[in-house]
This record gives sequence, C-alpha cells and structure tokens, in this order.
Amino acid sequence: MTYAFGEEVKRVDKAIPEEELREGLDRIIREVTDASAGILLTRGEAEPSDHICTVHIGFRRGVQSSLSLRADAALFVRLAQSMLNAEHITAEDLEDVAKEYFNVLCGHIAAALYKATHVSVRFSVPSFHWGRYSPENHKEQFVIRYTSGRNEAVELVHHVPVSQKGDNGAA
Amino acid sequence: MAKRVMVVDDSRIQEVQIRSMLEGTDYEVACYCRSGEDALAVYDEVKPDLVTMDIIMPGMDGLETAQAILEEYPEAKIIMVSSLAYEDTFDEAKTIGAKGFIDKPFDQEKLLAAMDEALSS
Repeated sequence: MTYAFGEEVKRVDKAIPEEELREGLDRIIREVTDASAGILLTRGEAEPSDHICTVHIGFRRGVQSSLSLRADAALFVRLAQSMLNAEHITAEDLEDVAKEYFNVLCGHIAAALYKATHVSVRFSVPSFHWGRYSPENHKEQFVIRYTSGRNEAVELVHHVPVSQKGDNGAA
Repeated sequence: MAKRVMVVDDSRIQEVQIRSMLEGTDYEVACYCRSGEDALAVYDEVKPDLVTMDIIMPGMDGLETAQAILEEYPEAKIIMVSSLAYEDTFDEAKTIGAKGFIDKPFDQEKLLAAMDEALSS
C-alpha cells in the first residue's frame, strides 16, 4: 500500500517492536504531561472511572494506527486549570485543552517515530469524546495505564487496523 | 510601539497562552485566526509584523498556509509553532521560508527569543 506521495505506509506495530513502542510512548506521555501542566504520572493498573473523556487521533501519513487517551475528567480539569491559569473551567475549556494537550503529545510521538523509522508522520486533528471511545475497524494492540498524584486514572491505547481479509491484525 | 503578532492555531488554548506570555512585552496579539483559510483572508488587512503558525489544523495545514502567505507576501515573518519537531518538518518549514520553529510546549523565554530572532533576520 502506498501513500499519495509515493511514500511507503507502515504499520507501527510491524515497523517497531511492541516493547520499544511502549517504552517510547511511556517516556513521552510522562514528559509532555509534566511539561504541559506539572502533573506527574506513574504506571498504575486502575481503570478510569465512569466519568471519563477520550481524545483520539489517527496517523495520516507514514504509518497506519491510531492512539487514544482515556482519563478521568478530573485530570483534564486540572490540565485545563494549569494550562489556562484559571480556576473555573467550562466544558468547552476542558475539550479544547484535552485536544491541544493530545496534539502536543502526538507531535512528540511523531518525532520519535521519525527518529526510529525515518518515516515522516502526520496525524489527524484530535477528536474529543465524553465517555469511552474506540475507533471503528481497529483493535487495541496494547493499553498503558497511569495514575496521577491525585489518583486520577489514565489509559493510553494504541489501536491497529483490523485487516479486511478477516485476520485479526496480527503480524 | 508594540510589534503586532498574528496567531494562527485551531486551538484557542494557544492563543490564550501566547497572549498571556506577551503581556508586558514589546509584542501584542493583533489578530487570532483559527484556520489557515482565515489567516489568508485577513493577512493583507492586518499586516502583522510576525505570524505564529500551528501545523496540524483542519483544512489547510500550517505549512500550506505559510507557503501561500509567503508566495503573496515574501517579506512575511512566520514562525512555525508545533510539536512536530523533527528534521523532515524543520526542512520543509525552512524550504518554505519560515523564520523559525518553536517546539510545543514552550515557555515565554523560548517564545520571545524566537520572535526576536525572526524579526532580526
């Protein structure tokens, strides 16, 4: 399969070993969350509560896969308070901050993918969803869970496309 | 007189942050555009001293928008502001004629340094 510019399109899960991809994503989410809002994430096992939001992007150039970040809404409120330097946060603020934060996070991931594969990656504008969202025709390759210092749960989910030939997307 | 800055970013969070960082400096946000198409439509009217340009945006992306502005106004000073900070994007921005690149997230010091450098080039 080729992209319109003639560049080969790779599946991230086939271009980079899963463990290497997990380590890269893990490092980047911690660094960007700290740099964006001073929030420290540590690895955890708790799933987000019922009051969660999801932000999602699909890679559009270079690689085929997508990423979601699901987190307790309270974490996005704190991100918004820090990034906007404001106490009162509206639903619109929360959505805009969540999308911008994930946009920055995914930019750093694209930069890391470029260093690993020399494939120039672009991605879609982030979409925001109240509740749990999973993209159609994709399966979860892996989920990395985190907890903040205030016990807010976060899940970073890497999705890979399900093949139309009926396989389950495995290599 | 303050230098007039046009902020082009689909996220109003960036506009809020840049406006806040420029308070009390030699720069002011003169215009905020949420898309490349909007920026092209008002550039001639605003005539900013400097443009900060996001890359990932709906419709025209920031690189396409910067290229279109620079074709029409070769003297325009445009700084790309994005987290897509790697060689391929740097090269593309440089080829188009952008004057600088700020990696998101950024602080006031980094923003002002990039703006000063762009205007002195």
